[in-house]
Amino acid sequence: MAKILLVEDEEIMIELLQKKLTQEGYEVLVARDGEEGLRLMKETWPNLVLLDIVLPKMSGFDVLNEINKNLSLKKIPVIIISNSGQPVELKKALRLGVKDWLIKTEFEPQMLLEKIAKQIGK
Amino acid sequence: MRSEKNIGKIEEITLSESHTKDLFNFLPLPVFLVSSTEKILEANPEFCKITNYTHEEVAGKNANIFFDEKRLKNILEEVLEKSFVQGKKTNIVTKEKEKIPISVSAKLIRDKENTASGYLMILFDLSNIQKTEEEIKNTRLALLNMLEDTEKEKGRAEEEKNKTLAIIKNFTDGLLVFDKENRLSLISPQARDFLGIEEKEVLGKHTSELVNVPILKALVNLFGEEIRKVFREEISLKEGNLVLEITTAPFLQGKDKLGSLIIIHNITREKLIERMKTEFVSLSAHQLRTPLAAIKWTLKLFLEGDLGQITKEQREFLEKTYKSNERMISLINDLLNVTRIEEGKYIYQSLFYDMSEIVQSVIDLFKEEIKIKNIKIELKTPGELPKILMDQEKIKLVIENFLDNAIKYTFPRGKVTVYIIRGTNEIEVRVQDTGVGIPKDQQSRVFTRFFRGSNVLRMDTEGSGLGLFLAKNIIEAHGGKIGFDSESGKGSTFYFTLPLKTTRIK
Repeated sequence: MAKILLVEDEEIMIELLQKKLTQEGYEVLVARDGEEGLRLMKETWPNLVLLDIVLPKMSGFDVLNEINKNLSLKKIPVIIISNSGQPVELKKALRLGVKDWLIKTEFEPQMLLEKIAKQIGK
Repeated sequence: MRSEKNIGKIEEITLSESHTKDLFNFLPLPVFLVSSTEKILEANPEFCKITNYTHEEVAGKNANIFFDEKRLKNILEEVLEKSFVQGKKTNIVTKEKEKIPISVSAKLIRDKENTASGYLMILFDLSNIQKTEEEIKNTRLALLNMLEDTEKEKGRAEEEKNKTLAIIKNFTDGLLVFDKENRLSLISPQARDFLGIEEKEVLGKHTSELVNVPILKALVNLFGEEIRKVFREEISLKEGNLVLEITTAPFLQGKDKLGSLIIIHNITREKLIERMKTEFVSLSAHQLRTPLAAIKWTLKLFLEGDLGQITKEQREFLEKTYKSNERMISLINDLLNVTRIEEGKYIYQSLFYDMSEIVQSVIDLFKEEIKIKNIKIELKTPGELPKILMDQEKIKLVIENFLDNAIKYTFPRGKVTVYIIRGTNEIEVRVQDTGVGIPKDQQSRVFTRFFRGSNVLRMDTEGSGLGLFLAKNIIEAHGGKIGFDSESGKGSTFYFTLPLKTTRIK
């Protein structure tokens, strides 16, 4: 069973994504801030990370910077799920090796599933 | 007191001795003898010279033809009284009636009986002296004038200096002036204020010394010890709490450098505002979109049955709610785009694209709606087109906007035609519809923010009124033109152009 680490601080989004992804047959781990996200990544080695940008303690960008310092962690695909999508942010994330970027309001659950499948297969 | 009998005696006394005669003849001053009846008895060659008469012409003449009669009388009376006078100024009249200024010294001549028998008169030509005097006077006047001019110049220079100083002191930018040896010769109060330094710490110091003043290190390093030309370069001091924009300009006289001016523009506040603006956009994006995203995803899970079975009625309501939420999301997206446009950050990725492909891809987005409304859509292209520089996403947004409006406001079974026209210097895209058109009285406001046609408002309440405002900004940032022709009830044609050759997109 593919393991997905969800790094997100908004409770309702966590619940919704957890529900959808579990139904699809993924194992979902949740981190509620950047620091916890990074720790869980090192501890559980998920198949994929869904990472928010605006997070407590460490922002999504801080997490990406840390991931980039570790060659093994770098191999885990990361998809950004954010409310913002300013071009500067997007460019910066792509430079940091992010695989995909999703603006929450512009995507539907089904599309997210497709993006995940594209990265790790079903 | 004058008597004729005395004349003979004078002749005897004065002219009998030869050395007296010699003296008389060679004296370089006009000298003559006058009888008490004012007849000239004798005159020396110098006298003849000044008056221009010959010796023969002078002898026996009445003295008053040479002088002003009254003045002569005057002088002689005084001589009679005092025995002699000196330095009496008058004029002597020459044969040509020319008056020459002279000074007269005269002595009374007495005979043995001590009776006044005549006058010895010595003249002194003043014309040269007077000329010299005049020259001196003129020179003095000239000198005075020169002095006055210099004073005036000095005053003017002083005034200029004061003006310059006033400008420097009151200039909102800080100014530093360096002399040609690159020594600091002036620091304006603003510059002192920005940098927090005292005049005495830095004045007169060479750039190589100023590098050692902590606050000036970055500044001097920017333009170097030799003060190279710098135009609006930024330096950040005090850990970003002081951001300065530096410009240097040499003072030149011909090719010689007389010094340098350093202009320090404080942009700390502008930088702060810029950062606050970006942060505000980020924050608004986050804060406004977060709840909407949650609503969207929840509704979607309901609608997709992930949260259990729902009735048909429940589904209908949820679908309507979902649509309302989508409208809210697009309204917020537009608002954020507007904010970003005003930040000047909107156009960010420009590459060469084929306009036909772009237009076709946008038309494809509307397939569903066209089918539902039974509208015919046609694309007319002139065949091969050169690729043009554009921000693809933004141009798509413009075409999407045009098409969205055209389809939305065209009645079922209507027609929308898209033309791509190649001009000499630009490519034009026209979207023509057979829709409701825009009322004449409202046409001037079409591209303003939040504009919505009154006839359109009755048709539907969707739309933010920002689409065309955004379109105008995007096209203008590309160096293109945007416009429309419209007639109420018959339809509208919206068009824009993009230049074929663009060097830079704002």
